[in-house]
Amino acid sequence: MENAKDTFYVTLRNRLAALNPNRVIILRGVQRPGILMEEAEAVVPQMPADVFVVRWTGLEVDGQLPSALAQMMCEIHYTTGGTQTNGGLDRGRALEEMDGELFSILSPNSAQKTNYTQRPAVAMETKVFWGEPQFSAMTTQRERLTRVTKVTVFAFQEQGEL
Amino acid sequence: MSTSVVTNYAVLPMLNRRVRAYFAPVNRLQQLPSIFDPSQIGEFSLDAPPAPWIDLGWIENFGRKSMSSVGSLNSGVPSIAQYQVREVTGAAVSFRFKVWNKLTMALAAGSQHMNLIQPASGGAANGSGAEGIAPAIVQAGSSSTIIALNAGDLAAFSAGCMVTVDIDYAGQTGFVGSGVSAAYVRSAAAVNNDPDYIRRVSFNVARVSQVTAGGLQLAQPLLAGAPVSGMKVQPITGFVDREGGSFFQEWSAVFVMPGEQGERVIFHYPRLQAMQGAEESSDTLAAPLERISLNASFRALPVTDSNDGEQVVCFRSFLPGSATLI
Repeated sequence: MENAKDTFYVTLRNRLAALNPNRVIILRGVQRPGILMEEAEAVVPQMPADVFVVRWTGLEVDGQLPSALAQMMCEIHYTTGGTQTNGGLDRGRALEEMDGELFSILSPNSAQKTNYTQRPAVAMETKVFWGEPQFSAMTTQRERLTRVTKVTVFAFQEQGEL
Repeated sequence: MSTSVVTNYAVLPMLNRRVRAYFAPVNRLQQLPSIFDPSQIGEFSLDAPPAPWIDLGWIENFGRKSMSSVGSLNSGVPSIAQYQVREVTGAAVSFRFKVWNKLTMALAAGSQHMNLIQPASGGAANGSGAEGIAPAIVQAGSSSTIIALNAGDLAAFSAGCMVTVDIDYAGQTGFVGSGVSAAYVRSAAAVNNDPDYIRRVSFNVARVSQVTAGGLQLAQPLLAGAPVSGMKVQPITGFVDREGGSFFQEWSAVFVMPGEQGERVIFHYPRLQAMQGAEESSDTLAAPLERISLNASFRALPVTDSNDGEQVVCFRSFLPGSATLI
């Protein structure tokens, strides 16, 4: 499943970089597009604001097909307190902007599966594809507004994949 | 010379999330449907279908039904089937249009579909629209998206209005309507010899995006292309269809199921006629808000496949994805 997860993340990262180059995060001294895979970063006490955090949760596999079909639940968390310039009074707009960006970068709902463990990355034979995003209710904690959006990601297991 | 070897082919199931519909007119006078050749244009861009196909968007509740039947010739005691015979060939297809516009509403209704011409003052009330205001003559220099008019005719139009563009009815009988056979006139008396009748049923309609000094800029191209000499334009306020009516519209259709791995299933019905009247369905968004869709149901009529002379009513094509064993 790792190739599918990597492909989904890199697809969203590249689309976000094209859509909004100003949404960035500095991680380990490097500026990157503002989306990260939680399980591939250091544990932090509080979720970073104004970036998308990808978290993988559920997994189901249909082994009755000629090629096993993996169905993975992806949660995309994001939180914002608005901008300092506006004293946080624009936090509602900031969250809406992130909702719109997420909806945009999830379309089209597929990408060629790619093996990023090799250099250069190698395109595989099948596509990773995903369903429509399910936006949860917004939650408020102190000055921050937070939302979790769930996306079901599908991928066929190719020969040699785990 | 050699090419790189791909060893990772697999047999994959067809996974699909939606169906897209394309329709094209049938030339009723010459009985010529629009033929879709999947070997030539099967991989067309879904957002830019080749002419004459008109994109009617994603549809829902798509269902195909074979109405063909096979009988047996039995002999012996006890009787045992020795041969099979095809007794009936037929098919039906049904779905729901998600959006309302001239074409989706007309296709779902299946009979004459009328434009509500902006009424003249004092006209007698009528269920399918009163007598319209006087039409304006389309001038030379018009195109499918520009209607050239004399300056004195511009007052009847405004940006955002809708228009119907077609010739006058002048006593002709048979199929009428530019671009699409919109109705069949049995006699001039049946349509009151109304000079606006063809514009009333015409599919040659568009919304006006701007009124300029020289005429009307249209927000969408006219289905019949550049207006011909003798065409006139009238503003319309909407559309109307009826339960009843004797006319059957006939259309060619293509339905595309794009698969998740790049494969594509295409259903082509060269001749479809509606087999039910106007009907709607509703889906609750958040009560009491509902989304209303147009139910459509068609019977497929036959064409002759020139490859072998067989009479058929539908073609189903499969264009496999690049990673699939066939």
